[in-house]
Amino acid sequence: MKTTLKIPAPLLQTVRTDLARRHAFAYERVGFMTAGACWQTDGTLLLVAAGYASVEDEHYERNTRVGAAIGASAFRRALQTAYASGKALLHVHSHGRQGLPSFSRVDLTSGSQFVPSFFSTIPKMPHGMLVLSDTHATGLVWHRADERPVYFSRIVEVGASLKTIGGAP
Amino acid sequence: MSRYDRQSFLGPNSDSVISDILVGFVGAGGGNSHTVQQYAHIGGRRAVIVDPDIIEDTNLNRLVGGTIADVHASRHKVDIAYRVISGVVNDHEVTVRKTDWQSAMADLKGCDVIIGGVDSVVAKDQLDDFCKRYCIPYIDMGMDVHPHGEHFQIAGQVVLTSPGGPCLRCLNVIKPEDLVREHENYGAAGSKPQVVWPNGVLASTAIGLLVQLITPWHANTKLTQYLEYDGNAHTMRVSQRLQVLRFDGCPHHPKDGVGDHRFDIRNLPPPLGDR
Repeated sequence: MKTTLKIPAPLLQTVRTDLARRHAFAYERVGFMTAGACWQTDGTLLLVAAGYASVEDEHYERNTRVGAAIGASAFRRALQTAYASGKALLHVHSHGRQGLPSFSRVDLTSGSQFVPSFFSTIPKMPHGMLVLSDTHATGLVWHRADERPVYFSRIVEVGASLKTIGGAP
Repeated sequence: MSRYDRQSFLGPNSDSVISDILVGFVGAGGGNSHTVQQYAHIGGRRAVIVDPDIIEDTNLNRLVGGTIADVHASRHKVDIAYRVISGVVNDHEVTVRKTDWQSAMADLKGCDVIIGGVDSVVAKDQLDDFCKRYCIPYIDMGMDVHPHGEHFQIAGQVVLTSPGGPCLRCLNVIKPEDLVREHENYGAAGSKPQVVWPNGVLASTAIGLLVQLITPWHANTKLTQYLEYDGNAHTMRVSQRLQVLRFDGCPHHPKDGVGDHRFDIRNLPPPLGDR
């Protein structure tokens, strides 16, 4: 099943700006994007980014093994936001730099644990994770909790110009 | 020399970008008969064209591509648009829907850009809303002829709205009183004066905005465009409404209002004909 993600450019700029802020001790920041969904006539699943929830400074935990560790309360708050509006939830972080980013092994391992748990709260929506660079994005989406994730086949930034900023690697 | 060499300034990959894009044309009458034609000539081959109407003799003053034979054959306007594209582009993927656009929403959801050539302000308003819901840039065209003393003033506009930016209501293109007036008239926009040359100017501008969106050839692209046409002075200029607009988020389209209300991933996508 192909999955496309569309992100309004102003929203993506908000995300990039938030993730670029320095944290007192975490090496990087994370956040959560919410998204609506629909089917296209060709069977493609379309996700439309709706909003962004920043993770507050106090919700980061000290952990030298990962770039950013956040507590259960941060996940709970993000899930509440998505649940209230019936949206998909996408965990987002940035690796900076230019070009198509890749998930690290730690990203993939941790994501495969926490993303399926989103389905317990919001079973009717797909969920996933995104990694950004300063120019592009790569994302994985789970259609069901017990299925393997697939890469977004297309990620589009919709702004003053239409940019395809990511696709399946 | 290839067909598109003379538009190669649009970028090294512009041929494939234009070839891959899916554009929705809502309305296949006066305005969009021009845009469809130009879209085909720039290399656009993927389109969804929606219009329930059949061409009449009174359309021949402005519907580019329409013929007397089409009138005699009671041909649908979308079939004329299809013929225009298929006459220019070989491997086209054109979906035509002989229906109101509301019945073709499933086809339009997947479009990268939608160009509206509709008279009704209610339809413009609903199309703009639809585009915000599915994160689609919307290019709206409109023209009118107003009495001006003993003479007439031709006016029009081309407006680009984008997700995250001001909508047609924010820009005052859609006014509440116009919606009320049209509702009281049971949704009919009335038979507005229409002539071919203003439609051509507006449609050319709309295609310019489309190309600028997908293969920008300069750095000054904008999220929102509102261009006003003065058909008596033969000028197009940026609307003052856009210049003075203080935009702090669109109050008409909540950010959460995206996607399908009743979407459920546990339900498989419906068969093609039911969407």
